[in-house]
Amino acid sequence: MDLFLNLVASGLVIGSIYGIIAIAFAIIFKTTGVLNFAQGEVMMLVAYTSWSLATSLALPFWLLVPVTILAAALIGVVIEFVFIRPMSGQPVFSIVMVTIGLAITLRSLIIMIWGPDAAPFDASVEGGLIEIGPVVLFSEQLFALLLFCAVSAAVYLFFRFTRIGIAMRATAMDETSALLMGVDVRRISSLAWAIAAVVSGLAGVAFAVMFARAPDMWFQGLQSFPAAILGGLDSPLGSGAGGLIIGVIAALSEGYIGHGLKEISGFIVIIIVLMIRPYGLFGEKELERV
Amino acid sequence: MLRLTNVQIMYDRSIEAVRDVSLNVEPGSIVALLGSNGAGKSTLLKAISNVLYPEEGEVINGTLAFEDADLKRIAADEIVRRGIVHVPEGRRLFPLMSVEENLSMGAFLKTQAQMKADLERVYTLFPRLKERRNAVAGYLSGGEQQMAAIGRALMAEPRLLMLDEPSLGLAPQIIDQIFETIVALNKEGRMSILLVEQNASLALDVADYGYIMENGRVVLDGPARDIAGNDDVKEFYLGFGESGSRKNYREVKHYKRRKRWLS
Repeated sequence: MDLFLNLVASGLVIGSIYGIIAIAFAIIFKTTGVLNFAQGEVMMLVAYTSWSLATSLALPFWLLVPVTILAAALIGVVIEFVFIRPMSGQPVFSIVMVTIGLAITLRSLIIMIWGPDAAPFDASVEGGLIEIGPVVLFSEQLFALLLFCAVSAAVYLFFRFTRIGIAMRATAMDETSALLMGVDVRRISSLAWAIAAVVSGLAGVAFAVMFARAPDMWFQGLQSFPAAILGGLDSPLGSGAGGLIIGVIAALSEGYIGHGLKEISGFIVIIIVLMIRPYGLFGEKELERV
Repeated sequence: MLRLTNVQIMYDRSIEAVRDVSLNVEPGSIVALLGSNGAGKSTLLKAISNVLYPEEGEVINGTLAFEDADLKRIAADEIVRRGIVHVPEGRRLFPLMSVEENLSMGAFLKTQAQMKADLERVYTLFPRLKERRNAVAGYLSGGEQQMAAIGRALMAEPRLLMLDEPSLGLAPQIIDQIFETIVALNKEGRMSILLVEQNASLALDVADYGYIMENGRVVLDGPARDIAGNDDVKEFYLGFGESGSRKNYREVKHYKRRKRWLS
């Protein structure tokens, strides 16, 4: 039983990371219709930037988070402006190809700047081991869980109540109508990339704090992909929940069945789920009024 | 107020949708733009709102001026800010959002306080919307959707309201109600209105001035009363023969049935 609970807990922790990245996938997909294959790399870039800020300026952790958010937003806006803005009006498939190219470029860029070696992220969360009943977690792991809750809540409130959040949903539903309401649709796209960079970047920092900042972190982006599909790509919160589900399934299948299953279990789950619900667990069905 | 001169619009740089159209809207007037399917009416409205580019449409020639602004040069959001608001054909509400969220989107460029006040104004104008404020817009009836679409546009406090076929697919009773509202907005709110319609008799009834478009060109324009009195308009748009009686189209001579403004 203890093994089971500990597996679930570590599944939830890694699932939080998947979930947050999946939220970032969903935000960009929902507002612009583009599947950003470079989300994992954007996450890695933000984590590396944050690491550099933390080591060079010796920032305390509470200060590092807001600074990272600012840097991430800037990275998101610049990437959107340089790579995505010139592609507007092109078929979505072409833009998706650009994001694949962007992914590989960012990976190489990071190795060029920071080198191929991993390094520990020292600005770690203090607290050491925390015991909750039979479950033992590091404070860094607890941070990831809390971050997931905070990001989910913030994303929910943003899309539900703020005017710009409602405008982003509106743009996703009917771009021309949004234009006619006076929404500057280009700014919405840039904002979506900024938010996605911030959200996934925080996940990157949480991940780097738990393990290390290393040039293979982008793989978490690929792992989050089934989470976003599972939850429904047009539903940020659903994608987040999908992340938790995939994380727990990965941890359980690794713990009980075998070592290699961690990476593929998520993909097996989405294949089965999509056969039953093609729009994902929490995705929006096309609304039709007859 | 709004002045179009010799506007030519092409889609994809190959299909001409509008050719040499000139049109004026004077402050405080209702102008009807009539014509059958594919005449280019909606295209013209989209050009005024500067939202043709997502459909690869482009104004090739001519000028579109609103007061002292060149509409070709300013972005869609700036056009809304200057007071032209467009209710698109087929309502185009945000289907998964509630009625109130849809309305609040109309006030996107306004302050929170202005939005609150305008929301009350729209609810007094359309009490039905207040009852359904939390309903999902996609599930409203056609009439309610049209009210929501007009209400959403009013939230932007337009000085020129452009309506694209507000009567489309609605029951006659609802149409009357919508048109009464349009006239009231014009008379009491001093709002200029550009009304695109296929239902010519209805539109000429409320309009001060009318334009008839066919195949992308304006073929006839004049004060609404003159247009409604024109024999050809009576026959081809209003459904009356010269004698004022109904006409059986099977008995009309072939050459006459095919008469068009330009042939």
